[in-house]
Amino acid sequence: MHVDTLAVTVVDGVAYGLLLAIAAAGLTVAFGAGGVLNLAHGVLIAAGGYIAATTTAGTWASLVAATVLATVAGAAGGGALAAATAALRGRGHLDQALLTFGIALIGGNLLTTIFGSDVLRPRMPAALEGTVMVAGYRYPVDRLAVLAVAVLVAAVGYVVLHRSRAGRLIRATVDDRAMVAGIGVNPRTVDAAVLVTSGALAGLAGALATPILGVGPGTADTTLLLSLIIVVCGGLGSVPGAVTAAIGVGVVQTVGVVTVPTAAPYLLIAAMTVTLVARRPTVPNGAAS
Amino acid sequence: MTSTWSSPTGDGPATAVPAAQKLLERDRVVALTGLVGGATVDKVQTLTHERRIPLLGANARPEFAPVADKPRDLSYTWHTSYNSDEPGIAIAAHIKTQVGDGTVYAIGPDYQGGWDELRGFTDTFTTLGGKLANPDGKTVFTPFPATENFLPYLNKAAETRPAAVYTFYAGGPAVAFVKQYRQSALKDVPLYAAGFLTEGSVLDAQGTAATGIRNVLNYSPTLPHAANQQFVAAWSAAGYPGQPTTFAMASYDAAAVLDRALAAVDGPVTGETLNTAIGQVGRIDSPRGDWQFHPTEHRPVQRWYLREVKPDGPVLSNVLLQDLTTLPTT
Repeated sequence: MHVDTLAVTVVDGVAYGLLLAIAAAGLTVAFGAGGVLNLAHGVLIAAGGYIAATTTAGTWASLVAATVLATVAGAAGGGALAAATAALRGRGHLDQALLTFGIALIGGNLLTTIFGSDVLRPRMPAALEGTVMVAGYRYPVDRLAVLAVAVLVAAVGYVVLHRSRAGRLIRATVDDRAMVAGIGVNPRTVDAAVLVTSGALAGLAGALATPILGVGPGTADTTLLLSLIIVVCGGLGSVPGAVTAAIGVGVVQTVGVVTVPTAAPYLLIAAMTVTLVARRPTVPNGAAS
Repeated sequence: MTSTWSSPTGDGPATAVPAAQKLLERDRVVALTGLVGGATVDKVQTLTHERRIPLLGANARPEFAPVADKPRDLSYTWHTSYNSDEPGIAIAAHIKTQVGDGTVYAIGPDYQGGWDELRGFTDTFTTLGGKLANPDGKTVFTPFPATENFLPYLNKAAETRPAAVYTFYAGGPAVAFVKQYRQSALKDVPLYAAGFLTEGSVLDAQGTAATGIRNVLNYSPTLPHAANQQFVAAWSAAGYPGQPTTFAMASYDAAAVLDRALAAVDGPVTGETLNTAIGQVGRIDSPRGDWQFHPTEHRPVQRWYLREVKPDGPVLSNVLLQDLTTLPTT
C-alpha cells in the first residue's frame, strides 16, 4: 500500500479505535470495580445508535439533541442494570452474566420491534457530509468530527478518572473494596455510579458510531463482542489497557483487512490470540472478591 | 378454489420449511409462491417436487445442488426472477465500450450472492478482452456481513487508478458503500453496479450520494411500456411508498402467471394440471416488457436494462438509459 493511503487508513483506524475505547471503557471499569460482567452493554450501544439515527434531522441542533439523548438513555439503562444486578450481589459472575444476557436478548428484540430490521443512519448537517483535504489526503468530515469528539471524551475521561475524587474512588474500588468501605464510602454506591457512567458512555459511543457504521439488528452483538475482546486484551479493569487494545483493534480492522484481504475474517481473532498468549494474566484484586 | 398464498417465510429455512409443510399437507395447496431466501427455496423445492406441486419463486434462485448425487429435477420449479450472475453478464460489454483500454476494479461481499454477481461480470468482461484493475486480477471480497467501513478498501482501490469500478451490494451495506464511495479517493471514478445497489428503500437512505451510479437490472420504474405505466400507477394508487422495485415486479408477474395458468386449466385444478398450464402460458405482457419461460430452465428469457440514478420528478429513481441485452441467450 502507498504511504499516503496508509496514513489515511491509520487515521481511520485510530478514530475507529477511540470509538471502541469509549464503548469498552465503561465495560472494563464496571467489571473491575463492581465485578459486574455486563453482557447487556451492546444493547445500550445499539440503543444509543438508534436514538441518534432517528433523532437527527440534518440540523446542528438535532445532532446535539441526539447525542445528549443517546447519552442520557444509556445512563438510564445503566441505572436499570445497576438495580437489577445489585439484587444478585454475592451470587457470582455467572448469575449476573445470565441476567444481563437475558436483558440483552429482550432488549435487542425490543429495539428491532421498535426500529425495524433495516440498517439506519443519521441525517447529518450538510457541512459534515463532505470531504476535506488533510495534508493532501481526502478524508470525510464526519469522521474527523467523530475523531475530535472521541479524543475529547477520552481526555475528559482520563482527567476525571485520575484527578477527581470520584475517579480516585473508582480506581480505589478496583484495587481494594474493603479499604474503600473502611474510609466510609459504600462500594455499592460506587458500583452503581460506575454502571450509570458506563451506560452513558455506551449510549454516547453508539451515537458517535452511527455516521460511520450505521445501526441495525447486528450492532448490539458486534459491539459487545468487540468490547469484550478489548476488555480481555487490555486487562480486566484497566482503562489505559482498554484504550490501547481498542486502538489496536481499530487499526487491525482497517489497515489489517486491506493489507491482507484474504485473511480479513480471521485477523482480529489471530491478533487477540497472540496478545493473550504473549501477556501474563493480570486480574485486579477487586474482580476476585 | 384452493388458496395459493403462503405464510410469511420468516427468518430462513428453519421457520419457512415447517410453514411450507403445513401448507402442503394440511391446507393442500396446488401451488406455492412468495419465497425470498436462496437457502429456503433450496429446501422447499424438494418438498414441493415430491408432491408434484409447482413452486413459483419470485426472488432468489439458488444453484439447486444435487441431492444424493442425483441432479435436481426442476420440472415443477419456476422462477419469475433471474440468475445471480446475469446482471454482471448483461452489463460487461457496455462497460468494456465505456472504459476502452482502461481497467475496472471489482469489489463485492464475501458470500454466495456476491461471488455469483461478481463472477458474472469479471468472467464476461475478461472474455471480451477487458482488464481488471485489481492487482492480482481477482475480485476483492469484503467480509460479510461484518464490513460496514469500506473506506480503507476504497482508498486502496483508488491506488490502482481504475477507469471504473464494478460492484454488487444490497441492503445496509449498499447504503454504507455508496455513501463512503463519495467520501473516498474514488469519488470521481464512474461507479457501475448490479441494480440491487440502488434498488428500493436503500436509494432513499443513500440520497444524493447515489446520483450518477449506472447500474443494470431487469426492470426500471421508468420503462415506457403500457403494462409498466399501469403497474406504477396502480402501485401509487394502492398507497405503497416510493416506486415499485424489481422484487415487487417479479412477485406481480408470479401472480399474473398463476392467474393465467389457473384460467387455462380445463377440469380439476391439481398440481399436475396447473404445472402443465404454467408451461403453456407463453409470452407474459409484464411491467418489465414481454418475457417467456426458458423451455428447460423455467426462468425468464428477458431483457436487461442500463439505468442511471437521477431525479425523476421529485424523487431519485433508477432511470432507464438503454436496453443492454436479452438473457439467457441459449
